[in-house]
Amino acid sequence: MKQILTLTVVVWLEMMRRKDLYVLLILMATLLAGLLSFDIFGLSGVAGYVKDMGLLAVWLLAWILAINTSVRQLPQEEQRGTLFPLLAKPVSRLTLILGKWLGAWSITGFALACLYLTLCLGVSLKGGRFDAMTLLQAMALHGAALGLICALGIALSTRMNRDAATVTTYVVTAAAFILLPRVPSLLLGASGIMNTALYALYYLFPHFELFDLRRRLVHDWGCAPWLTVAGILVYALLMTMAFLSLAWLGYRKRRFSRGDIL
Amino acid sequence: MAMIPAIDIQDLSVSFPGRSGVVQALQNLTLTVAPGTVYGFLGPNGAGKTTTLQVLLGFQEATSGTARLFGCPITQSIAREKIGYMSENPDTYPFLTGRELLTMAGRLFNLPSSVIRKRSTQLLEETGLCGAADQRIALYSRGMRQRICMAQALINDPELLILDEPAGGLDPLGRRDIRTLIAARKAAGKTIFFSSHELSEVELACDRIAILSKGRLIAEGPVNALVPPGESLERFFIKSVTA
Repeated sequence: MKQILTLTVVVWLEMMRRKDLYVLLILMATLLAGLLSFDIFGLSGVAGYVKDMGLLAVWLLAWILAINTSVRQLPQEEQRGTLFPLLAKPVSRLTLILGKWLGAWSITGFALACLYLTLCLGVSLKGGRFDAMTLLQAMALHGAALGLICALGIALSTRMNRDAATVTTYVVTAAAFILLPRVPSLLLGASGIMNTALYALYYLFPHFELFDLRRRLVHDWGCAPWLTVAGILVYALLMTMAFLSLAWLGYRKRRFSRGDIL
Repeated sequence: MAMIPAIDIQDLSVSFPGRSGVVQALQNLTLTVAPGTVYGFLGPNGAGKTTTLQVLLGFQEATSGTARLFGCPITQSIAREKIGYMSENPDTYPFLTGRELLTMAGRLFNLPSSVIRKRSTQLLEETGLCGAADQRIALYSRGMRQRICMAQALINDPELLILDEPAGGLDPLGRRDIRTLIAARKAAGKTIFFSSHELSEVELACDRIAILSKGRLIAEGPVNALVPPGESLERFFIKSVTA
């Protein structure tokens, strides 16, 4: 555990010193300031509008940060040459993967908390507020979804270069978020191989729509049943473990060579 | 009781797919390095030196054969607990300070915090980096980066130090530092295994040498037993690899 936490700290130090987080927070604050000051369709006075657009911004920014942070961890170590002194220590490849994932997830989670805080401030300036328990549920589920995205990004980066892994993670997560909820209706008209393929897609890809409580927050529908939330968190844990296992399978026997191959 | 070798390589072969078929990087290499030895690992470019080091350090797997570090199979990460490694390139995290890098390295060896603090201070003094310990490594010169990497390799006071072309790309002062390091480790009874093209350095520092050519071991033994009297190691090396 000490080794995993050490690797996590290195990810944090890099992110803080590269100032990526500050850029993200400034971007969020600018977006909110824009939402608060412009009067589009006469909606500027409605706190619900700020909530809706603000939550969309939080989801988009956290999504971008989770993918960009997780996907670069392993390829960057190799590219920078720091992987070699690291592997020459008694650090197993599984430890390396877990340390990198925990680092990417925890820093994204921290950024997520900051983004929600900024949004809450923005909403309160319009005289609105979020229900505290619903907000807590939304943040917990959102955080779990980000852990899953980080695990997927790391899994893909074990076998792809950084750019390819980034694009693939964006495409897979966006497709899962947008298309998977539509699969049941597509299944009604499908048969044969198409039917099997749709079933496979439906069960193999992560269902990010389960983690999205934005509508509950915007329309003040109140808390989701806690048992359902717990079930979704368990689902996130299982999917994250599956992706991290895939990452380990892809990485454990990988040959790394530096300089002259012979 | 028989002494456990620091490095024990038995019938090690490595091959991998290349552009024009399978590349045989190492063929049945058998090598034993006794504890306390300064061992030079020589060979022309493409001889298999780097591949051997990469297998020993766990960067890649052998196709066949076995290798052990202090009796522990290299496939287990715990085998690397007693080793320190430094490469030709001072690759490190530019966003960390020198002290943070040493702390990180110590934690990865599971050393207690008090030991890490003590060793870090000692190594920073030895490498002349005390004044720059809290500066980001991005601001270090190449020589300073080489020295912080050296300190990192020594944080666990390793029984076996593996050096890959340690003097490559260094100025005379840097080379002197490496020589001093090797001498100090040797005096402390530690094992040093290094690959190098600098034959004069090898001749000065090593107790034993091994020469590889085209993935095969072609000569192995104490320097003074291998090299005929009146002949330099360089001449012997050239004769061996061109024979």
